[in-house]
Amino acid sequence: MVNGEQPREWSVARVEADTSRCVSSGQCAVTAPLVFDQDEAGQVVVLAAEPGGRAAEQARQAAAMCPASAIRLYPAP
Amino acid sequence: MTAPAPQLPFERPNALELAPLLARLREEGPITRVTTPAGDPAWLVTRYEEARVVLGDTRFSRLRPDSEDAPRISESALHTRPAPTPEEEDREHTRMRRMLTPAFSAPRMRRLGGRIGELAASCLETMDEERSRDPERAVNLHDHLSFPLPVMVICELLGVPVADRDLLRGWSERIGALYDGADGAAAMAEFEAYVAAIAEEKRKKPGQDVISDILAVQAEDPSFTEGEMTRLAVGLLFAGHETTSARIDLGVLFLLSDTGRRDRFVADPEVLARATVEEVLRMSAPGGLGLTRYAREDVTVAGTAIARGEAVLVAINAANRDGRAFEGPDTFDPSRSPNAHLAFGHGGYYCIGNVLARTEMQVALTALFRRFPGLRLAVDARSLRDHSERLAGGLGEVPVLW
Repeated sequence: MVNGEQPREWSVARVEADTSRCVSSGQCAVTAPLVFDQDEAGQVVVLAAEPGGRAAEQARQAAAMCPASAIRLYPAP
Repeated sequence: MTAPAPQLPFERPNALELAPLLARLREEGPITRVTTPAGDPAWLVTRYEEARVVLGDTRFSRLRPDSEDAPRISESALHTRPAPTPEEEDREHTRMRRMLTPAFSAPRMRRLGGRIGELAASCLETMDEERSRDPERAVNLHDHLSFPLPVMVICELLGVPVADRDLLRGWSERIGALYDGADGAAAMAEFEAYVAAIAEEKRKKPGQDVISDILAVQAEDPSFTEGEMTRLAVGLLFAGHETTSARIDLGVLFLLSDTGRRDRFVADPEVLARATVEEVLRMSAPGGLGLTRYAREDVTVAGTAIARGEAVLVAINAANRDGRAFEGPDTFDPSRSPNAHLAFGHGGYYCIGNVLARTEMQVALTALFRRFPGLRLAVDARSLRDHSERLAGGLGEVPVLW
């Protein structure tokens, strides 16, 4: 596994953000605007918990890049 | 007897390529001994995985400990400013993030996007006028877009007069200089006095800006000193434009150094901007040092023992081109996904201005290539050098024609 990303074969079924780890960088909201946003205090907000297509691709990028490793991706069962 | 540790910054062939020595050291091991520009010993981390581990490890602090024997990185005023205790450093950092996160958040930056677009359009208008005076003469992209756009945006955000931008430019260059410490210290004193005077005005008449927000927090908190306030404001003004200017210059240079690459971007800038900017962030490498850390206790990294108090430089430029983490690491490929580069760091010190920088870069590249799709370099891309004698690096000159 290279730099924390998931193997590309499986599709992302579900996205979770751990707000206790979140450092409010805003990285996910700018790299994956279809999936994440920030609230007024800067905390991560999940907009699309079950992203598909381009949103799923964005979610992968945001998860790999998250400075606090606060984004979890789950494959389809 | 072992050979002396090589001294940073290493010799680079041009602004697009890294120092060959960095690649060699990265092949030899993840972490190695180097000599800082100030002549002191430090560790240099060159591989991606280890870079990410160090940046995410809270046993490292960012500021030089307040001790005579602590290694010095350079004479830059940003490296030599008085260090607080670890507790004070953490407290200041937590306060800074809590205070500034909303102002630099993604929703706020989205609302700012239109304004950045207007400012970019005005920059390009001036650039076009400049060329119409003499169509044969190259125009310096740095002076017309890469420098003015980020500086205008950060001035508006902080509530500092845009008319003072040349003052800010001069101080920023001088406080970032790695070698002339006396001049850097004088520039820092002038810069801080300038910010203090602006703060004095804003205390009487607060505005809708970040400095006014900071002052409102400070007014409620007796532990928030005047020195901390001016350091923070200077830091924001410096980091808010120097680094982004360099990245815009380098981004344009990467796109123009290959006509096919430029044409692919020109075909659909709005759609391609996001991924192109991430690849620019991965490959562009302004400055030759990396991110500074000091060990707060003894730490072992990849089997190497780092003693408490030692300095660690994380060479994010080298890590971003580590073949263990990126396929074809020296190839500019905006389609790589994910592209988990370390241009903004990693962990708790991740750049608070990353959304702003990304937004500015996306807007700048899109607007530039929409308006001038036939833009080209007036010189060989490989003739341009990075100002590695400055902390933030950067080009200063990108001559273009269209």
